[in-house]
Amino acid sequence: MADPAALTLVLAQPFMQRALIGGLLTGALGGLLGSFAVLRQLSFFSDALGHSALLGISLGILLGINPTLVLVPFAVIFALLVNQLVQRSRLPADALLNIVYSTSLAFAVVALSLVETYRGGIQQLLFGDILGIGWPDLAVIAVLLLGAMAYLALSLRAQVLLTLNNDLAGAFGVRANWHRLAFIVLLAVVVAVSIKAVGVLLISAFVVIPACAGRLLSRRFPMYMLTSATMGGGCALVGLLGSGLTNLPSGPCVVIVQFAGFVLALLVSQINAHGATTQASS
Amino acid sequence: MSSSTAAPVLAVQGLTVERDGLLAVDAVSFQLARETDTALVGPNGAGKSTLVAALLGLLPRASGTVRIMGHALGPAGQLPRSVRAQIAYLPQSLALQGRFPLSVAEFVGFGFDPPGPRLPWAVGQRRHGAVQRALERTGCRDLGKRLLSELSGGQLKRVLLAFCVVRPRQLLVLDEAQAGLDAPSSEQFHQLLLELRRQEGWTVLQVSHDLEMVRRSCDQVLCLNRRLRCSGVPDYALSPARLAELYGPNVVPYRHQHSPSSGDAHG
Repeated sequence: MADPAALTLVLAQPFMQRALIGGLLTGALGGLLGSFAVLRQLSFFSDALGHSALLGISLGILLGINPTLVLVPFAVIFALLVNQLVQRSRLPADALLNIVYSTSLAFAVVALSLVETYRGGIQQLLFGDILGIGWPDLAVIAVLLLGAMAYLALSLRAQVLLTLNNDLAGAFGVRANWHRLAFIVLLAVVVAVSIKAVGVLLISAFVVIPACAGRLLSRRFPMYMLTSATMGGGCALVGLLGSGLTNLPSGPCVVIVQFAGFVLALLVSQINAHGATTQASS
Repeated sequence: MSSSTAAPVLAVQGLTVERDGLLAVDAVSFQLARETDTALVGPNGAGKSTLVAALLGLLPRASGTVRIMGHALGPAGQLPRSVRAQIAYLPQSLALQGRFPLSVAEFVGFGFDPPGPRLPWAVGQRRHGAVQRALERTGCRDLGKRLLSELSGGQLKRVLLAFCVVRPRQLLVLDEAQAGLDAPSSEQFHQLLLELRRQEGWTVLQVSHDLEMVRRSCDQVLCLNRRLRCSGVPDYALSPARLAELYGPNVVPYRHQHSPSSGDAHG
């Protein structure tokens, strides 16, 4: 049980308050977009985007431009190029994404090795620094979350139909290619904006784990999106509080809590499935 | 069937489609009269699915025109929303790998609203009633709360028909909708399709490899192998000479009968 005095002390810190809000927003955003990403088998794509972000940061540092300004356009262009590559190359998407992310990681490390004066640690890039998040960062993430919610709510039917079958959606008048591209761009922007808080290595966990837990627990689509977003935001809050109390690294703490949430969802789904089988056979 | 002088539901003229730089469909012309059932047959790789995709506006045309209910299909597949709302398409399969958290009733409900953006909370009693009626008419009344990914192949096909019947439509396009079904399920699906077609007055275009089903129930057959090799009533288009021309000389015409009670197929 957490010591109430220690908890109060942690919560009183302004940087911790910003980190908690940032974690809540980033986690909810990751869970929301993840709910479609995992159904469209884009989990590995988000991982590749995360790794490519390191290359974007490295190029920014190398060219003497603020990495934050480079990151979003870099991630969007990178995502669109990789999407074209996957569609046109006739090679399995997982193999191509593996090539892309390992190569971009290699280039990023080489680029960083050329920068002698880089003062940020590689650790910070890899695992994020959510405690260093500022109010402007929070405003950007909040606007992004509202935008993503509005877009997905208005196009929910289109998104679900094109996830099920591209031609079924197209015959229904859904501009399937446009929506696919729009989603990939949105995912790229979210990954780029979240990197500062979450880090290159852990960003895909924010997209994939809450959505997989939501997928196990939900039987209706809006509930699935809500569960994924709530799981993402809730796990981030618990993980950050745990990190603050134990002085352990924040990003990894959040991912460990997400994993615990996933295991819990797995157990609940197994119990539900067993109950349904027993009820059907009796 | 209505008079043949009525305007066709679908009119295709000189349709040519290229895929990956190759000619996939070459100068195909045909019409679908109102409330008729037309089969599109041909060997694998003949361009059947490509033709269907092009006339629904899902693939660009190299040349030719497509008119649906009197409206010309635009170069990028544009059609008025009111026309799109009259078209239903049944694919071979859905991407349902693993657990897909979408209930049958939700999916069928997606078919009720007309095309275009929709607020998620715009769910009315009218929609709920239409979904329940569609599920009942397709024998899926007890499946409404099930997940789409929990259904058997036969159940899923019936739910796809419920998606089509949940609102009035004129044109139904099926791309090998019976693929993957065993003989009894395929026969059940076929009978349900026939019944709904009669009730709804659908004009049907179906890609099929089941020549016996085509012979029994379709009004018109289009034989495609990149070009339209022949077309006409089943007895003409599926004659041994025409089939040999379409599939090659080694294809032996195969007649079998389905018993409604057992669903058995006999060679």
